[in-house]
Amino acid sequence: MSTAAAQQLLVGASTDFLRHFSPFDRMEPAALAYLAQHAVLGFHPRGSEILTPEMGPSRHFYIIQRGKVQARQTGAAVVTEYASLTLGPGECFPIGAISAQRPSTNAYVAVEDSFCFQITADEFLHLMQLSPVFHLFCTQYIASLLNQSRQQLQTTFSQRAAEQQTMTTQLGQLIKHEPVCVTPDTRTRAALEKMNEFRIGCMVVTDTEKRPLGILTQSDVLPRIVLAGFDLERPIDEIMTANPHQLPAAASAYDAALEMATHGVRHLLVVDPNGRLKGVISERDLFSLQRISLRQIRAGIENATDVGALQHASRDIRQLALNLIAQGIGAEQLTQFISALNDALTRRIIELAQDHHDLVGIDFGWFAFGSEGRHEQTLSTDQDNGIVWRCPELQDGEAVRKRLIAFAREVNQNLAACGFPLCKGNIMASNPDLCLTLDEWKERFGDWIREPDPQALLNASIFFDFRVVYGNERLGDQLRTWLNKLSRTSSNFLRMMAANALQVAPPLGRIRDFVLEDDGTIDLKKCGARIFVDAARIVALRTGIDSSSTVQRLRQASGKMGVSAEEISAIIDGFHFIQLLRLRSQHLETEHDADGDNRIDPDALNELDRRILKEAFRQARKLQLRLKLDYQL
Amino acid sequence: MNWISRFIGGRAEGDALEPGIAETLAHWQALPDADLSRAHFEARYVVVNTEATGLDLDRDRLLAVGAIAIDGGLVAPSDSYYAPLDGATSSALSGLLAFARKDPLIVFNAAFNLGMLEPLIDERLGIGLDAKVIDLYFLMPALFPERHGNPVRLAEWMESFGIETFQRHHALGDGWVIAQLFLAAQARALAQAATSPRALMELERAYRQYRRKA
Repeated sequence: MSTAAAQQLLVGASTDFLRHFSPFDRMEPAALAYLAQHAVLGFHPRGSEILTPEMGPSRHFYIIQRGKVQARQTGAAVVTEYASLTLGPGECFPIGAISAQRPSTNAYVAVEDSFCFQITADEFLHLMQLSPVFHLFCTQYIASLLNQSRQQLQTTFSQRAAEQQTMTTQLGQLIKHEPVCVTPDTRTRAALEKMNEFRIGCMVVTDTEKRPLGILTQSDVLPRIVLAGFDLERPIDEIMTANPHQLPAAASAYDAALEMATHGVRHLLVVDPNGRLKGVISERDLFSLQRISLRQIRAGIENATDVGALQHASRDIRQLALNLIAQGIGAEQLTQFISALNDALTRRIIELAQDHHDLVGIDFGWFAFGSEGRHEQTLSTDQDNGIVWRCPELQDGEAVRKRLIAFAREVNQNLAACGFPLCKGNIMASNPDLCLTLDEWKERFGDWIREPDPQALLNASIFFDFRVVYGNERLGDQLRTWLNKLSRTSSNFLRMMAANALQVAPPLGRIRDFVLEDDGTIDLKKCGARIFVDAARIVALRTGIDSSSTVQRLRQASGKMGVSAEEISAIIDGFHFIQLLRLRSQHLETEHDADGDNRIDPDALNELDRRILKEAFRQARKLQLRLKLDYQL
Repeated sequence: MNWISRFIGGRAEGDALEPGIAETLAHWQALPDADLSRAHFEARYVVVNTEATGLDLDRDRLLAVGAIAIDGGLVAPSDSYYAPLDGATSSALSGLLAFARKDPLIVFNAAFNLGMLEPLIDERLGIGLDAKVIDLYFLMPALFPERHGNPVRLAEWMESFGIETFQRHHALGDGWVIAQLFLAAQARALAQAATSPRALMELERAYRQYRRKA
């Protein structure tokens, strides 16, 4: 009885405390009671680490009662807008890590004497179940982190962001092998033999504690030994460069590049906190790191003089994408990176092909359709392209078309060589049906809209997402304006498009979380991404939006659709998440269109991803519901 | 409130203990003494605090007792005890003992709190408390001389650490403050390699001796 009285007082006090802060102020009474009942108070003196990635999967969820805790990013890549963030009373951590039952990516350090309530991971998960409010809070928190990462990369010039990520790598991580070193009394001949044996460009001279004393590089051999007629039996310390340049293992690749540039050296020694040699970094190590940066790839593409060089760049794009996925970049930036680089690659291929084909005086634009047209390319997309052109005055249209087709054939082949497989459905610019004048395109599109049979609807879903990648963009703009005008007045066509878009429902089950296909997987493209894409296209056509990207279409339409901005961003987040899962499941496959692409086994996802995926499908359902209402289907 | 009312209060319950209480006490007495060499993160401490009509040991009377456990360096609000001493005093006191077990007690100002509590336990339950006690009144200035070099009142430590509570001058309300102070004390003691209850007791004693000499 007396413990009950005490609990009522103390647990009540915890409850009162929590009620001052979001989301606990909105939490269901039963859930809040559970939290207050289980929360225990701990103390963390100033400077102490509360939680770090090294501690393994997070075992406790903390709510700061008093004091200040700093969250610092520890990874090489800064994916959110803050490098460090100070949390105060009422704020809690870690949310993402404990939800996903993984180690925290941040280090949490008390910057003041701090008191924190804590609950165990199990209690945290139970609380999520118990409280829809808390669940929503955590999910939104994670979503907003993803969001922050997107904004971060959009605001920073994307190029620099990618570069920084590689150039902020710590030197300790770049060291490839154990250092080879000798003591100062070693005979020079023995040292040179060792360099030769290990095929290394420099030899480090250290004391017995492995502290560096000097260095001898290959380029020293000629002037100091050969030309100077140095006696190889004499010890190496007589000819080494003393006091070699050193950097701590925690220094960044950027620091190393700066040091090398400042002192004009090609090798730097990396030492541990006790000054002992950990390894050697050469200029080449840094160069290979930078080569994969966005700028380098771009420069590589722009300076390429043949398809061979572009093939190389195409592999680099892939590698960069894999690195970015590994660093946890959001789907939007990632597809934008890929899209931007693929555009550059396509443009260069087109430019190179023009050297072999005389197109002077022909006004044309190179169309990208489908996912490429929407800026939503994943790693495995085949070509979908076409040409729009205008016949020069006093020229034979068919002759011009022939020249364009011959040119397009080379471009298609070269794109295939660079990793974009030829389209099985022959949706390619070299197809005479897709190498059309502006008027012919209008006629084609007009036919589909006037007679929306199933094939026409399918075509519309591919071709209406066109975008000019190269050439005269005005041609594309004119076609877009015309198309929007026509389709807005063609309510029957839009209605059929909507009916078509409703044919596949998101795989949400009534009893189980997900409805699976026979092989136990979900097709993220067919049952996920496409729902968003189709709905966005219809909305864009109806409201006259010029963009071809799904996200832009939704964003621009939010006012016109009568849907709030928050609702739209929730829908967009859902779309991004599905795209991210697609990219993740693709990135291991090296072949295009492998069977496993786009398929995902929800049981293989962690709890958090599964929940977010479910939420993403709910957003897809919401969009479909909107279409149903709009078109009375 | 004088000795008469205390006398009357005492007589009201009679000398013979109720069977339930006697059993609790027997159980408590049979408990082994706490292991004072355990590390903080393994040790259970119990904050004990009282609420009285005033601060005069002779004239004033206890109103309530409160206790909060600190187990493994964490305070669990649900692991706490509170009992008014207005009626079933023996039962309240035996409940306190059962809650505290033989664990080291954390008190702020032992002279007063235990000065009130020990005679009452002796009177009502017929046993000597004889607990291992750590008095934060002395331990705090010993550990945090940069904040207060001399023993000061609880309110000053609250201000120094920015600690708040739901109700001042309440056995449990102040107990909650003491528990939080003790968390800070444990962390500081750990940094000074005082890792066990025994070490804390020695620190406290050394401080008192040093003060007496000074």
